[in-house]
Amino acid sequence: MAFKPDINLLAAAMDRVIPPVDDLAGAGGMGLAEVVVEKSQADDRFWDALSTVLNALASSNEFLANSGDAQEDALRSVESLQPVAFNLWLDVVYTIYYMQPEVHRRLSWHGRPPQPDGNVMPPWDESVLDVTRQREPFWRQV
Amino acid sequence: MTNADHNPKRTAEVLIVGAGASGAAVAASLAEDGFDVVCIEQGHWQDASKFPTVKPDYELRAMSSWSINPNKRKLPEDYPVNNDDSAIEPVMFNGVGGSTILWAAHTPRLHPSDFRVKTLDGVADDWPISYEDLEPWYDLNDHVMGCAGIAGDPANPPRSERPMTPIPLGKDGEMLAGAFDRLGWHWWPSDNYVNSTRYGEGRDACNFCGHNMMGCYQRAKSSTDLNYWPRAVDHGAELVTGARVREITTDSSGRATGVNYQDAEGNDQHQAARAVVMAANGVGTPRLLLMSKSENHPNGLANSSGMVGKNLMFHVYAGVTGIFPDHEGEWVGPAANMILSQEFYETDPGRDFVRGYSYQTGRGQGPGSTARGGSPRVPWGADHHAQMQRRFRNTVGLGVIGDDLPEQHNSVSLDPNLTDNSGLPAPKITYTVSDNSRALLDHALIQGQKVLEEAGADEIMVNRFSREAGWHLMGTARMGDDPERSVVDSNGQSHDIDNLFIVDGSVFVTGGAVNPTPTIQAIALRTADYITNEREDLKA
Repeated sequence: MAFKPDINLLAAAMDRVIPPVDDLAGAGGMGLAEVVVEKSQADDRFWDALSTVLNALASSNEFLANSGDAQEDALRSVESLQPVAFNLWLDVVYTIYYMQPEVHRRLSWHGRPPQPDGNVMPPWDESVLDVTRQREPFWRQV
Repeated sequence: MTNADHNPKRTAEVLIVGAGASGAAVAASLAEDGFDVVCIEQGHWQDASKFPTVKPDYELRAMSSWSINPNKRKLPEDYPVNNDDSAIEPVMFNGVGGSTILWAAHTPRLHPSDFRVKTLDGVADDWPISYEDLEPWYDLNDHVMGCAGIAGDPANPPRSERPMTPIPLGKDGEMLAGAFDRLGWHWWPSDNYVNSTRYGEGRDACNFCGHNMMGCYQRAKSSTDLNYWPRAVDHGAELVTGARVREITTDSSGRATGVNYQDAEGNDQHQAARAVVMAANGVGTPRLLLMSKSENHPNGLANSSGMVGKNLMFHVYAGVTGIFPDHEGEWVGPAANMILSQEFYETDPGRDFVRGYSYQTGRGQGPGSTARGGSPRVPWGADHHAQMQRRFRNTVGLGVIGDDLPEQHNSVSLDPNLTDNSGLPAPKITYTVSDNSRALLDHALIQGQKVLEEAGADEIMVNRFSREAGWHLMGTARMGDDPERSVVDSNGQSHDIDNLFIVDGSVFVTGGAVNPTPTIQAIALRTADYITNEREDLKA
């Protein structure tokens, strides 16, 4: 049967790995579970990792109804039993979370893509070589 | 020219397989010398305006469709690689420009001692050529590719003036340089094939975007689609893209006659040629040679020595990363390298390993990459935000690139089950890390921590080994004077087949402890000049 992600379960797990901070909701509360599903559908590896993690959480007793500590225990168990899938899923969650403008603002970072604007290259300052260029050549003669 | 203009029915004088670092160099050189050149490339031209660094999800794309790892990228032009029995995963890019599209463009040279490790240290083998033999082509390549750097490095022989001044070190680089200075250890600004000023046709200076590993939108990072290929095409070379070579064909005497390939429309074609030059990298070249077995060549082409696919070298990588609270580094500038330290490059009898390593310094990462970390990642859970705040823009690292001496059991072979999307056997990598490499890395990690401590790091994270770091594919069709122990001679010409040449990293005898591309390209240019000067018989 085709895997169909449980968005509520995913959002709860995401809130546990990246919890709320300051005035920001957790990664799940920010509505990023749907983004994780969408992006994971574009890559078999991501999709397999998502399904492995969610299936494992779904099989643990009532993840959604559990306390925060119990949810964390459940996630640690998946991390221990399915490390490859868990770590890839976590990489996807992290990366999508850190694509968000509100997260960038909290980090006091401009948040724009590297290109096309780039930055300003400072001038080359040759004085940085003052010490290292005093060293005698030491390459090995053959 | 376009693929539609190509007529595979004619006989080329020189047919090149692969349009990357070495294929481009040999194509331009031979075309300029009047040879009729055809190149077959399985990938395509790249449109710089479509590189992912202009998109908000660029860090996610780096994990998927723009991954350095073909097993993750999975583009139609990629072939899968079986890494199940390898400690290191090879990474590469298939397209015009090859891996120079996704490379760091960090371009140091081998040392003279790297060519004489058997004589000096009693290990591996000497090359049949010396540093001095290659030097003129190193210089030529530096000018074509465009090298930013400065002469005078005391760890290397004197070299000619670099075409451009170095890329500025920035705040992170100056901090590390100061630490090296206080320890009395060597460092020098890295040679980079990244423009510090306008250089080359239509190529601007670097705009310090901070993330040029995923293709350079600015065309400031050099790649062979920007320099060698335009020159080659201007001189009549034909570059056929989206075409996958199935085998090198031979006649009854065993000489190469061309290649069989599948064109972009999926049609089987034969391209005849008077000579074949392999430039498909240290995995792709042995794969094709092994796939080209025939009655005359039952163990694969050019393989009477049995050395095709053997002696695979990658370089071993590890690293240390320091956290410098409140540092607020810029995370700008070419991703590659600010400075290079070769304090521990050469053999020291007092250590428990031979040969040595270089330190390379990176320039920080975006937020997603910082969180994913790797040495280790920022923890998930209640402490996540505090740890992320502590690390983002506050980490500076030293990468270690270690000499990886050749061992026959480290190899590329044909996988009996896995195939590419053309049904051709995928390469299988068998590779273990030697005791010498492990000892070398352990030494490097201890010394590297001293540098970061001297620089004022509050905490140091150690990455003992990098698995997805097989950038440098070397040794699998090595050169030598003895046909029983090597595949090609000092000119890159097959010992077995006098009209078959190899010009990629396959021909390396040893790998040194530096990025290999300038050496690969210098070898390719030297082989091209040999063909021009000594093999007039290959002209129609």
